Amino acid sequence: MSEKPTTIGHSRRDILRFAAASAIGLALPGGLSAVSNAPVAHDGPSGPLRSAGVLAFGPNNVLFVGDITGATIHAFALRDKDLTSQTDLISGNFHNFEGRDHVVGLDQKLAALFGTTVDKIVINDLAVHQPTEQIFLSVERGRGTDAIPAIVKVNHGQLEILELDSIPHSQVSLPNEPDFKAMLEFDPQQMYAITDLKYYNGEVFVTGITNQRFASTVYRIPYPFNSNMATCTVEIWHPVHGEFETRAPIIRQIIRELNGEPYLFGVYGCTPLVRFPLSALKDGAHVRGDLIGELGYGANPLDMLTFTSPADSKDYLLVTIDTRSASQIAVSELASAPPQPTGGGIDFGPGGLGRTQRALPIKAEHIAILNSKWAVLIWRHPKTTYRLDLSTLALPYFFERKDGMSEMNWPNGPDPFHYREHRNELGNQ
Amino acid sequence: MNLPVERQSRLQVSSDRSPHGRSVSVCSLGPDLVAFLRTCSRPGELLRSVFRVAVAQTPSPEADSLPDVSGRYLLLEDEVQFIPHFPFEREVKYRASFDPRPLGAPLTAESLNLEFLIPSEQKAPTLTEVTHIFPSCDLLPENLLRFYVCFSNSMQRGRALKEISLFDSDGRPAVDALYRPPVELWDRSMRHLTVLLDPGRLKRWVGPNIQLGPPLKMGQKYTLEIGSWINDLYGRPLRERFRKHFVVGDPIRKRIAVEDWKILTPMTGSRQALVLIFTSPLDWALLLQTITIESADGLVIEGRIVVGQHERRWSFTPTSPWISGVYHIRVGSSLEDVCGNSIRGAFDRPLRKDPSLAAEINGPSLSFQLI
Repeated sequence: MSEKPTTIGHSRRDILRFAAASAIGLALPGGLSAVSNAPVAHDGPSGPLRSAGVLAFGPNNVLFVGDITGATIHAFALRDKDLTSQTDLISGNFHNFEGRDHVVGLDQKLAALFGTTVDKIVINDLAVHQPTEQIFLSVERGRGTDAIPAIVKVNHGQLEILELDSIPHSQVSLPNEPDFKAMLEFDPQQMYAITDLKYYNGEVFVTGITNQRFASTVYRIPYPFNSNMATCTVEIWHPVHGEFETRAPIIRQIIRELNGEPYLFGVYGCTPLVRFPLSALKDGAHVRGDLIGELGYGANPLDMLTFTSPADSKDYLLVTIDTRSASQIAVSELASAPPQPTGGGIDFGPGGLGRTQRALPIKAEHIAILNSKWAVLIWRHPKTTYRLDLSTLALPYFFERKDGMSEMNWPNGPDPFHYREHRNELGNQ
Repeated sequence: MNLPVERQSRLQVSSDRSPHGRSVSVCSLGPDLVAFLRTCSRPGELLRSVFRVAVAQTPSPEADSLPDVSGRYLLLEDEVQFIPHFPFEREVKYRASFDPRPLGAPLTAESLNLEFLIPSEQKAPTLTEVTHIFPSCDLLPENLLRFYVCFSNSMQRGRALKEISLFDSDGRPAVDALYRPPVELWDRSMRHLTVLLDPGRLKRWVGPNIQLGPPLKMGQKYTLEIGSWINDLYGRPLRERFRKHFVVGDPIRKRIAVEDWKILTPMTGSRQALVLIFTSPLDWALLLQTITIESADGLVIEGRIVVGQHERRWSFTPTSPWISGVYHIRVGSSLEDVCGNSIRGAFDRPLRKDPSLAAEINGPSLSFQLI
């Protein structure tokens, strides 16, 4: 027997010495790694993460992760072996608005995989790697300060934990994070330190709050990361509250080019939709955004995205809301919508683009666009409230026919939408 | 005589002092199995289906399709370690299983199972040990029927057969002496285990007795050994193995003669113990259940029972002081001595001639009077 233990297959660390001279350690491949007595930073599948929050993909298969506890944005350069194409998966019956469950009991399966009980599983975000259509989740085991973060990917319905300690990684720290003991009236301030992140044209845009007087902040961070970070603070007129606000953060953001100019669109709690030209978001600037829509009081935005409708080929903005149906607004209106007047009294809205928003029947904890015809969502639908499912939902109506009760479901019922003609048309695209 | 050393594979949970936190190991693997795993190109993939660790407490309609705990495997000299990707949580019950049979011949190791729970730190009791083995005497009759093994904490099923052995004076296993029941005979508290000697060899004139003779040989010395790898509720082995040495004496083949018991009566007005002295040791567990004291009007007197003097003494301390009157000592018909002889007859007596059951239902009764 050799003096050194042998490694088989791939491992970040090559040859590993096992402590006891008599014990011959053999590091096993296939999602298996090995032991080293040498101190290795970020050992284990959590890698450098201290918490796992918002996710976004950038170019060259880079996965960005917002880490509130670490006050850090991480970039993991996923390798080919970290990605498995899912484009062969059947998403459902598109013509008939019948999606498919990719993972039934997502929360229960995560609990089993993480060796815990379902009450300890928190899913913080969902992102799709568009070229492979592979779904990534940011997950935490535990709800306290000892929560363990991880990134999980879905491979043909199976959950696989990304071994982040072996993936090429870079990171950047965010300055002025809120004190971890500072409270809002109901929540710790730190909860909102990183609310969203997006990659656009060589930069990562991060929204959230800091410990500064104007707390609501947008960071522009060049990627690959360097020291040239731009930080600006943003304020808005909030019609439902009848005041200018500088601390409540942008909850979700997207960046779109419209008429040749890039804009950041942000949506706030209770529920202003605000437009910022990127050209105004300069380092050190304090920027007032244009309020272009008030989507209605008492609502918390969950996700914001755009999609191209397979019905009319137009682009739409979609904002999912915790308390009611999602809002759909034509992207073409985003650039041209006039700023709403500021300085008036309290107006519960809706206002501006909020008046033309269309309600879509989406009840999702997280949603993302999977491909040109399907969205993917994590939801607790009415028939399975005891568990979370990961399912597909057909664009552009975001309507799941099999959950409804209607005359058309009767064996000899009417068929105004020709569902019966397409009954067997399962497909991906 | 040169006996082959039998390798006994086992599952065990490591201490949390190991460098990567707790792990589960299957230890003492046969050299064939280790050699086979070393030749596999992807032993991890293979182990995933034969060495599995799962959360044990997930009752749900999806339970069958839930994944195993995510982790990695390490192959050591004669051991495979499973190291979870995220540390095992305290107060969560896990189930580990190792079943190498799908790997095929000539690997014939059997399936192993271990349920374990790492208690929260403040709850973790001291290591479990064997507190008593009954009968407590070290001179036992040739036709002894059973032992009771008592543990300081609740235990888990699954390892009693493997860990409990009877050895003769030369240290060789007493073959087929202990009965191997299909279900381990634990009491409700999971702290007391009944270990039977083979009743077929005890009962004269039946097949095993005729072929093999009684399980214990008169005049011989034996050792009953409780190995430390019997697991407690928390998946931990015992503090140390436990051995009871004893010598085999004459068999006892007669009914329990209640009329020969000596009664030491207490003083009226006191809470002194009422004491019964038996002519030979009776069954420890049944002594705690089958004897009750009733007042003249049939009320059961409450009190505490202590069994002592190698199960030849039964004492009863009442909750309230004794008052004058007549008392009845009711003896349940299920009372037995250490050989299974009952108050009705010997364990291997001939069949009853009288088919009436009436005599079986009511046990005998003794009386005493306090003035």
